[in-house]
Amino acid sequence: MATASVYKGSGFDFSNHVRNEFLGSRGVKLPKATSTGTTIVGCLFKDGIVLGADTRATEGPIVADKNCEKIHFISESIRCCGAGTAADTEFTTAMISSSIELHALSTGRKPRVVTAMTMLKQYLFRYQGHVGAALVLGGVDSTGAHLFTVAPHGSTDKLPYVTMGSGSLAAMAVFESQWRPNLERDEATKLVAAAISAGIFNDLGSGSNVDVCVITKDKTDMIRGFELPNERGRKERKYTFERGTTDFHVNSERIRRLVAEESITPFESPEAMDTT
Amino acid sequence: MNSLVSKFSSSTATSQLKQAKKHLQQEEEEYGEPAMWGSAGGFGNMAAGIPSFQIPAVADPTSFLRLHTDDAADPSCRIKIQHGTTTLAFRFQGGVIVAVDSRATAGSYIASGTVKKVIEINPYLLGTMAGGAADCQYWETYLGIQCRLHELRNKERISVAAASKYLSNLVYSYKGMGLSMGTMICGWDKTGPRIFYVDSDGTRLKGDLFSVGSGSTFAYGVLDSGYRWDLTDEEAQELGRRSIYAAGHRDAYSGNSCNLYHVKEHGWTYLGNYDISKLHYDGPGDVPGSAGHGYGYSERTAGLSSANDPAPSTENAPAVSVQA
Amino acid sequence: MPQQRQFNPYSENGGTILAIAGADFAVVAGDTRQSEGYSIQTRYAPKVFRLTDKAVLAVNGFAADGNILVKTVKQRLEWYRHAHAKDMPLRAIARLIQTILYAKRFFPYYVYNILGGIEEDGTGAVYSFDPVGSYEREACRAAGAAQALVQPFLDNQIYFKNQKPKPGQSHPTHLPLDHVLSLVIDSFTSATERHIEVGDGLEIYVVLARGHSAQGLSNIPGAQEISQTDEGERVFVVRRDLKKD
Repeated sequence: MATASVYKGSGFDFSNHVRNEFLGSRGVKLPKATSTGTTIVGCLFKDGIVLGADTRATEGPIVADKNCEKIHFISESIRCCGAGTAADTEFTTAMISSSIELHALSTGRKPRVVTAMTMLKQYLFRYQGHVGAALVLGGVDSTGAHLFTVAPHGSTDKLPYVTMGSGSLAAMAVFESQWRPNLERDEATKLVAAAISAGIFNDLGSGSNVDVCVITKDKTDMIRGFELPNERGRKERKYTFERGTTDFHVNSERIRRLVAEESITPFESPEAMDTT
Repeated sequence: MNSLVSKFSSSTATSQLKQAKKHLQQEEEEYGEPAMWGSAGGFGNMAAGIPSFQIPAVADPTSFLRLHTDDAADPSCRIKIQHGTTTLAFRFQGGVIVAVDSRATAGSYIASGTVKKVIEINPYLLGTMAGGAADCQYWETYLGIQCRLHELRNKERISVAAASKYLSNLVYSYKGMGLSMGTMICGWDKTGPRIFYVDSDGTRLKGDLFSVGSGSTFAYGVLDSGYRWDLTDEEAQELGRRSIYAAGHRDAYSGNSCNLYHVKEHGWTYLGNYDISKLHYDGPGDVPGSAGHGYGYSERTAGLSSANDPAPSTENAPAVSVQA
Repeated sequence: MPQQRQFNPYSENGGTILAIAGADFAVVAGDTRQSEGYSIQTRYAPKVFRLTDKAVLAVNGFAADGNILVKTVKQRLEWYRHAHAKDMPLRAIARLIQTILYAKRFFPYYVYNILGGIEEDGTGAVYSFDPVGSYEREACRAAGAAQALVQPFLDNQIYFKNQKPKPGQSHPTHLPLDHVLSLVIDSFTSATERHIEVGDGLEIYVVLARGHSAQGLSNIPGAQEISQTDEGERVFVVRRDLKKD
């Protein structure tokens, strides 16, 4: 069969773009991407960085995942919280993580937070906001502890305490009233948990549990379910269906016997096989 | 009522509404106020006897309404008015058969599967419901009141022609304002069994056989092929049931169940509710005119389906056999 | 570029309501969260209102429209009481609500209503309305944000859709009160799990016909009696906490 040879570059495939624009203009709804309408935060403390995130993923008003992981791995001592389109945050951070590893291998040095930040912002800027990732990047390297936010269009901020996502205002309110320089480790983790909780309870886009990640010079502690303030409600009744209560039409729907007959003819005597 | 709008707006919709009210007002003034309609708990004089409608204070109320309620143009609009239907009515030797489905949809969501789409205007008049559920319910109830008043004033029952024309004129006075109804007014008067099709565009048609709604094409298919004037009562009832089944089976916006009515000389009788799925597999059960088996699967596929065991093949049978 | 502004007096305040009719009782419930977009306006805004000793109305959609509607309905019921020295019967309240809603056919109230209570013949009843007043008597109905989550569950558990009775048995036509209450509570805990606009609190109104004992309510903690008629109809309210995230 003859096919037209069409040049295909690497990277994103835009071949459906025009069609989808057209369908959109005709009122056809495009499928909703899972978004992490989220609360993510990070703050500086005496010995490093504490990152925090809630664990709710939504599709419009529906909770798609009650316990998703929003603190992504970049390197052993650099981590990145993601808000926005779930697929974009996941793939962007995974790709940068890979580049950072290769970079570390070729330079023979431990990766720096600014390197990851620069890679992220250059990548996001290239796609002009169409890659919908809003990130909180934090880590410790040879130059100290660093904390950044990266917006979907590629702009970045370097601050001692940051929040992002739909719950960012609720979380920032906590930081603004309680953060101070040189917090102790447990003070900082408690503060981060309080900021995330503010998002969980006051922002409908955020919910479920608090994840926390503490990064210091020597060690990174990723604590899934640091707080579990929203355990699943217990049901009043049991909803198991008794055997034989499934409604289907026995007379009209039968499963055809697909295999008519099967016989096995051994062509060698069993003794010939040696399994020792 | 927003006096500012009525004073300064030159929009046709507002002035049309005024006209509509004037039209109704005349009617009421002639015969005095009926206290029961829109009655304020016995304080009949506190609420005007005629329905009055609040209008948004915008230059073009009609497009305002369309913006917020037209889910065909904008699927994300807030107020979803229920749509999607199959209704039918036909005249024959034994009277009028009225059959409808019972599904209400809002977008792709089945809002209800138990809607009463036949409105019992009075013991000898039926109206069917297609389009806006509230429009049909409200105006056909209102029509019922006017029909009763006609009886009291004239000492005789209103003709189907007159009743349907009353409704037709009424909705025509609101033309272009967003009412949506496609209805069949069915009954038996001095002239015999009668059906009139009335819709919110102002159309009013006399006829023997109508089907209205998104599933009407499917219903017409069965109806036209089985219709004769000299159908017996049982045959006619079965035809109505079978037609709604066909629409319910093939139209995604129709279904759930079929409600069947028969209008005879001394008024209508309700014959029953038939589950479309049951009709498909088992048929209507032990009712007059019943074929005694399902309308669907089993009848069409008995012994001819891939669901059956493959026929025992002979040694040199051809791969594909064509049956004569 | 020419710019155009549109008058938009509507908003959506989330939440879900639900009502189930029993043989001689009716249960009407709603969550108490009121939200707009991603923010919670209040964690306690009742959506269920007692109208008479045997009628309860649940209102969902745009809260401002809902409040004014309830106010109007209550006013009209008071006028009726003054004129007739009795409460308006349930089916008449249903028709009243239709005319009130339809009077705004060209400027609709953005509300979905469910009316529950006891009919004059002593049976439990539920009436559901669309925003412009079409209504129907039903056995159960869910409306609002989580309608599409709750209604299929109710169809399965109350109408026994897609369920076959065990051989030699048949499905009950009406469920007992304690069974219905547990279904209502489970509907809301489940909706809270998966819908972001549902949560904070649950308010369940129970209307019992005369002669119906409050048996089913005895093992429900926190049931509180609101009113009782001389004839013996009783209205209870049950309040429960829901998750707040």
